[in-house]
Amino acid sequence: MDLVQLQRQFVDYRTSLYHEGFLDEQFTQLQELQDENNPDFVVEVVSLFFEDSERLLNELARALEQQSIDYKRIDAHVHQLKGSSSSIGAQRVQKVCIAFRNYCEEQNVEGCLNCLQQVRHEYSLVKTKLESLFQLEQQILTAGGSIPM
Amino acid sequence: MNSSNGNGSMSTASSSGAWNGRDQFPAGLRVLVVDDDQTCLMVFEKMLKTCLYQVTKCNKAEIALSVLREHKNEFDIVISDVHMPDMDGFELLKHINSEMDLPVILISADARKQVVMKGVTYGACDYLIKPVCIETLKNIWQHVVRKKARNTF
Repeated sequence: MDLVQLQRQFVDYRTSLYHEGFLDEQFTQLQELQDENNPDFVVEVVSLFFEDSERLLNELARALEQQSIDYKRIDAHVHQLKGSSSSIGAQRVQKVCIAFRNYCEEQNVEGCLNCLQQVRHEYSLVKTKLESLFQLEQQILTAGGSIPM
Repeated sequence: MNSSNGNGSMSTASSSGAWNGRDQFPAGLRVLVVDDDQTCLMVFEKMLKTCLYQVTKCNKAEIALSVLREHKNEFDIVISDVHMPDMDGFELLKHINSEMDLPVILISADARKQVVMKGVTYGACDYLIKPVCIETLKNIWQHVVRKKARNTF
């Protein structure tokens, strides 16, 4: 595939992520913050997000397995996941967190378990998609091109 | 300024321009940002640096408080997350208000009215909902000026 085709594929793919609600305006903000002094800023922040999320998802699974469920603790974890997902523009993850918190407040274990499954699913989707996006970026850069804004 | 303290840590990043005089204001505004979430902290730091502020970041409220105590008059404004383990944003705010004269902005993904109300009544000069955009951060210098003006007159 030549450079122009690669760039077009990148733009189309990125646009689809917004249309499908995987990413929102906040992700655009991150891209605008990236500059020559910090050329890997977006990848670095997103990597931190992946790290944080995986830890939080494991903590949530553990907390929901307990005999006596600590809803305050679960709420704290979900709150943090909501905050970090919103910071990078992972909109679908953020939305599930909102529902998750409501079930926590109601102390509804079924609801919480469902939300955990949903949030895991949305997280792995957005992770795969962002990794593909970064891969496309890398291909463009390797081919000597620049990333279309 | 670099220090590590157990699980907490903080670091300072300066923008390329130093705050030489009023005409460069608000460039060089000295901001302390506190958040236990490393993703959010990294995004804030970058946004604040892009605003040409001088940024010190911190992931624990206790460390932030000791930094402020040791380096009085070296910060213009504090931005703090609300929900943090150990000391939270409200407690940090209370300490800062009783010990020093610094504007404090609270930030949270928690938009519930009672929580925002608590922040305002505890004396936060503003309460921002995550995700915060850079345009909002470009305006925080107003809180610094407002506080100084209130103290003078």
